[in-house]
Amino acid sequence: MNNKGRDALLFILPLICFVILFILIPVIGTLLNSLRQDVSFMPKRFIGFTNFVRLSADQKFWQSVLFTLVFPAISVFLEMVFGMVIAITLNQTLKLRGLLRGIALIPWAIPGVISARIWQMIYRYDYGLANYLLKFVGIGPVNWLGSSSGAFLCLVMADVWRTTPFVAIILLAGLQVIPTELYEQAKVDGAGPIKRFLYITLPLLSPIIIVALIFRTIDALRVFDIIYVLTGGGPGGATTSLSIYGYRFYLLGDFGYGSAISVMLFIFALIFALIFIKAGKFGRLSV
Amino acid sequence: MVEREEAVLKKSGVIFVLFFSLIPVFWMLIISLSQSPDFLVNGEMVLTLKNYFDIIARHNLHFLDFLKNSIIVAGISSLFSTLIAALAGYAVSRIRFRGRMVFMILVLTLSMFPQICIIGYLYKFMSRLGWINSYPGLILPYIAWSLPLGLWIMLSYFSQIPRELDEAAMVDGANRFQILIRVILPVALPGFLSTILLLFIFSFNEFLFALMLTTDFHSQTVPVGIALFQGLHGELPWGYIMSASTISCLPVIIIALLFQRQIIQGLTRGAVK
Amino acid sequence: MNWSSNIKKIFFIFLILFFSSCFQEKKHLTFMVGGAPNEVDYWEKLIKEFYRKTHIKVELIRQPTDTDQRRQGLIIPLRAHKSAPDVFLMDVVWVAQFAGSGWLLPLDAFIKKDKINLGNFFSSIINQVDRTEQGLVALPVYNDCGLLYYRKDLLDKYGLSVPGTWSELVTNGLRVQTELRKENPKFYAFVWQGAQYEGLVCTFLEFATSFGGGLLDSVGNITIDRNENINALKFMYDLIHTYKISPPNTYTEMKEEEVRQFFESGNALFERNWPYAWGMHNRLSSPVKDKVGVSQLPKYPGKRRASALGGWHIAISKYSDCPDKAWELVKFIISYNTEKALALDLGWNPGRSDLYDDEELKKGIAHITVLKRAFENSVARPTLPYYTGISEILQRHLNGVIAGREKPEQALHDAQAEVELVVKNYSE
Repeated sequence: MNNKGRDALLFILPLICFVILFILIPVIGTLLNSLRQDVSFMPKRFIGFTNFVRLSADQKFWQSVLFTLVFPAISVFLEMVFGMVIAITLNQTLKLRGLLRGIALIPWAIPGVISARIWQMIYRYDYGLANYLLKFVGIGPVNWLGSSSGAFLCLVMADVWRTTPFVAIILLAGLQVIPTELYEQAKVDGAGPIKRFLYITLPLLSPIIIVALIFRTIDALRVFDIIYVLTGGGPGGATTSLSIYGYRFYLLGDFGYGSAISVMLFIFALIFALIFIKAGKFGRLSV
Repeated sequence: MVEREEAVLKKSGVIFVLFFSLIPVFWMLIISLSQSPDFLVNGEMVLTLKNYFDIIARHNLHFLDFLKNSIIVAGISSLFSTLIAALAGYAVSRIRFRGRMVFMILVLTLSMFPQICIIGYLYKFMSRLGWINSYPGLILPYIAWSLPLGLWIMLSYFSQIPRELDEAAMVDGANRFQILIRVILPVALPGFLSTILLLFIFSFNEFLFALMLTTDFHSQTVPVGIALFQGLHGELPWGYIMSASTISCLPVIIIALLFQRQIIQGLTRGAVK
Repeated sequence: MNWSSNIKKIFFIFLILFFSSCFQEKKHLTFMVGGAPNEVDYWEKLIKEFYRKTHIKVELIRQPTDTDQRRQGLIIPLRAHKSAPDVFLMDVVWVAQFAGSGWLLPLDAFIKKDKINLGNFFSSIINQVDRTEQGLVALPVYNDCGLLYYRKDLLDKYGLSVPGTWSELVTNGLRVQTELRKENPKFYAFVWQGAQYEGLVCTFLEFATSFGGGLLDSVGNITIDRNENINALKFMYDLIHTYKISPPNTYTEMKEEEVRQFFESGNALFERNWPYAWGMHNRLSSPVKDKVGVSQLPKYPGKRRASALGGWHIAISKYSDCPDKAWELVKFIISYNTEKALALDLGWNPGRSDLYDDEELKKGIAHITVLKRAFENSVARPTLPYYTGISEILQRHLNGVIAGREKPEQALHDAQAEVELVVKNYSE
């Protein structure tokens, strides 16, 4: 090994150790565990793909798969819309723009569990804020967390609230590098704000939009904390994500089956990550 | 005409941002300050600080324990993680070794693994070490888990520092480690600090690892404490939960407001080039 | 130079902090217990008393009210072989799994040494639940069963009697509800546990058994999709959607504490709940104090009455580092006096059978005969290590039906098929 290589290795070594010990080995461990019968009250042994065969016949698992795929699709779309509005606002010349940017960051900065608790409070059937406000428009009271679609909507709202700031910031970074001359020129040509958005902002921003899309999708695939607090996976398992479902089996003492569920989620995430790598031009991203 | 339209749009945008970001937070604050959470239907709202006094004074609610654990765990892990990320980031930005890009992409890919794929085995691993319900049992995984983010941010800061600085020091006979400590880090100090802040928020908010790796108030963190506060859907002591939440949000909200520039830079450095 | 030495210092300090935290030693005997806030406060009082008697210091670890979260809080440390908690309470349905996993310390030797007379406990419960292949692994602290609470004052006011059958409950309930709705739009006649959690299985077991069905057949096979069960489930659905005498948040939010508070705030006529609610309803601050009566749950004409057997059993962790002290605590908690105090102050049915003849208890708990009879009619949930898997399936389908997402017949057929799969997966 040459000098450079050795030097570099020395600097990278701590990171590699940590990552191998606490991420890579556990992931491999989970992979192997999914091939074992690992139940607290049964003898442990290798059982090949039995756990996966069991998965394929498990309706609840497929229900979770569906949820895990539909949830990101809807919430990420809404995050893009809201995020765009916020990013454009934050990019204007405003008084106290710094403060406004700080405020916009708040939902992202506070712990997910706490934002879930706040939304749980808002959705309460009897004295929640949502039903109180709906009363003025003559609707409700709505049993938000009671129906599967209602619970789904609640989760989407809570997730959108929490992660839109992140999307907004990424989009903001994209907006900042669009040369202002383009807008000035368009203004001279008499284009209104909406036209300018459609013909300048949107096309120039599309690479950044894709980046934000990929990050958020992969993140939304593994949603756990807001579901754990808000619905616990219910009602009737309608909002059980794969993370929640896998976790449940860990707690039942069945680590083998829980691992098999995790492996499936891992595969979904990997597919998205591969798409990300394929789109190699985004390889210079942070986060 | 266009000007007015624009001004209106701008204003409504600002109002939207304020409402969107603040209404739930205000709601939390209001509930935490009211005597009973159902004032909307009861019609009478009594302001009180009782909830705050209670969660601080009543030791068996363990709120201060949760807060202490969170601050220690997030503080230590963000510091260590930033240091380790700085070392690696320096190597990637300054030493042209083979496989740099592959290395970066691999690290980035790791950060996209779902936590649930890690926690099952990590739990067993920590069990064997006897580190369930201990600070190291949380700190070590948090360091690893926040490293990819830290690495990318540090890298983007380092790559903005002119190489001439290194080369000058190299001529003076300093080795690479000395260069990093004496030359690069002081210049990259703002970047270093904002990375610590970001990773602090990152670890402070983590839930699933903490949920499975801790068992009681000796090491449970704020998110776990608040999630398990008397049950899942329970008729919860909302006043307590919301006052505990408010206090816990305070540090991260202050960080967000004071260091918004650094956080935004940290999150987006290198995203646009 | 200055900068680098500072960094070194900071690094060093954190290193020390970090490693010192690695070796936190357990200081006391730990006792993990959860429940409603007043119950946990009471446990704190008890361990102080225990300290006065024995000078053994106990650290109480509070758990949430939610049963699933309490189980999770135990399984994580036990599976990790942690020495804390040393002593803990288990729901009856966990005993099989915990014992099967080898996490519980057999108590036989202690019992022999201290000459504990097991005849003072309900032998049927000890034999069904606590005596396992591993030996006697737990002892009942209190037994639970479902009861019907009712508002005496309201029934009297409208000249109605305590319902003996489910249809009477509906008729009486509708009558009172129609009247009271004029002033109180939030009034519902009957509140019960319908959220997707273990309590729903208990409620269902009661409805099903009192309709003539049940979860197990005479030889112990699981039979969920019987006609009687389907009718019972249909009835549960009707309570919310057809008769509308149970609130729509029954299937989302109603666990025991929600139900208790709903009833206690004066918004309900009947309530299905566990015995602990009695003490709460009659607190000084309770709006329904002295207006509450209690009886056994109604039944279907010609069938048996049924109360789901619940209750909490105490055990010692196999990984405890001070089993002798732990046994002292267990002995203290299952003693005549402690269980009596728990009965008087918290309204818990003693785990000991000899307490049901206690004069003071008979005076203090006017309804103790109701309790005793409810006990005689109690039905246990299946005692299998993988019961939770079965319960999960049941919870999901039962909740699906009462929320209106599934049809009773199909739901129970599906549940039966899924349960059979679980049984196959978890039996060698």
